Amino acid sequence: MIPASFDYIAAKSLDEAISLLGKHKDDAKILAGGHSLLPAMKLRLMQPKVLIDLGRIRDLSYIKEDAGQIRIGAMTTHFQVEISDLLRRSCPLLPETASHLGDMQVRNKGTIGGSLAHSDPAADWPAAILALDAELVATSAKGDRVIKATDFFIEMLTTALQPGEILREIRIPSGKGKPAQAYVKVRHPASGFAVVGVAVNLSIDGGKCQSAGIGITGVSPKAYRASKVESALKGNALDAKTLSSAAAHAGDGVDVNSDLYASAEYRKQLATVYTRRAIELAASRAK
Amino acid sequence: MKIEGSHKIDAPRDRIFAALVDPSVLQKCIPGCEQMEKTGENQYKARLTAGVGPVKGVFTATVSLEDIVAPEHYKLVVEGKGQPGFVKGSGELSLKDADGTTEIQYTGDVNIGGLIASVGQRMIQATANMLAGRFFKSLESETAGNNPVSSTGT
Repeated sequence: MIPASFDYIAAKSLDEAISLLGKHKDDAKILAGGHSLLPAMKLRLMQPKVLIDLGRIRDLSYIKEDAGQIRIGAMTTHFQVEISDLLRRSCPLLPETASHLGDMQVRNKGTIGGSLAHSDPAADWPAAILALDAELVATSAKGDRVIKATDFFIEMLTTALQPGEILREIRIPSGKGKPAQAYVKVRHPASGFAVVGVAVNLSIDGGKCQSAGIGITGVSPKAYRASKVESALKGNALDAKTLSSAAAHAGDGVDVNSDLYASAEYRKQLATVYTRRAIELAASRAK
Repeated sequence: MKIEGSHKIDAPRDRIFAALVDPSVLQKCIPGCEQMEKTGENQYKARLTAGVGPVKGVFTATVSLEDIVAPEHYKLVVEGKGQPGFVKGSGELSLKDADGTTEIQYTGDVNIGGLIASVGQRMIQATANMLAGRFFKSLESETAGNNPVSSTGT
């Protein structure tokens, strides 16, 4: 339970972190809270030679609204997201997702950017980020690169981030009208990770669903958009029949995970049931 | 843990079977395999870095090929040990002609123990499926299209 020896460098600025990463390359890992990285290091499943800590860089932690987008700094902690007035008002899906995440210590120290870059297949954030059509801003010596949420998650523990890139900001399109959003989750009793987690972001007008974003985590090796559920909702009134037939597609087209806690068949059933509940809850909040 | 599935490759069965028993091809196709050394008839010693994303462990393994019936079937027995745990398993591979392509069916039983099994439990099945997928993808690029198809008419 003691990690292999490593060097620790607290970067003072993002530029310094980028140049350190360029210098140490694969030997280095970015420390962005450390609630996944440090346990893995203690088990020696990861043995980076150098840790570059982003924790002292003040201007990576913020939540603000700018040019029709909500912008969240990568080093913003889960707790800061959970209690943000701006987000509770204009994008309550994010605080709600944060409130389900890990335990108090994880929420106090862990960061949204760290979690997304680590890309655990059962992490909560990817579901919300996908449902919201977010953009992720990666930065490197070459400048910024904007990655769509749907292109970000490649496979478990693997993202579209390239060597030398650091995730800097998460951008969410500002919604119009009263948000119709919800995150519901079956929590693994030991780890707190999502056995199934469903994030829903609807836009409802005149009693009909105009657009739907549905992100599902925990079910397959990477979080995904349930596009068949989305298209089954679009243009329809959200009555019980529509909801049931739409939610039945929650596990379509993905390899469903199976482990000691939940078989693939059970997980798929949970995905259907929780997708229906999440849509119902989101729709009820728009009223 | 059970692993099973099938994979279709657009190449003749003979060529794929030859690749599947060729240690130099296996080394290229097994994800993370750095070294493969012959220790006896159809027996090999391998060194591989296996894992997913940044989480990796180094394993040394013995690999033996048994019950070889060319060009349709063999059994692969693997025993590996490394810092994060051990892997012990065997798998059967069957090749079938399928409309000019070859279908490989595989089924295996794998025991994983030690640290990797206790902390990585929820990701092991998905990792195994992913590694199997990568193996067949590499096998596909090794066998399909490279050389002109031999005209032995089998």
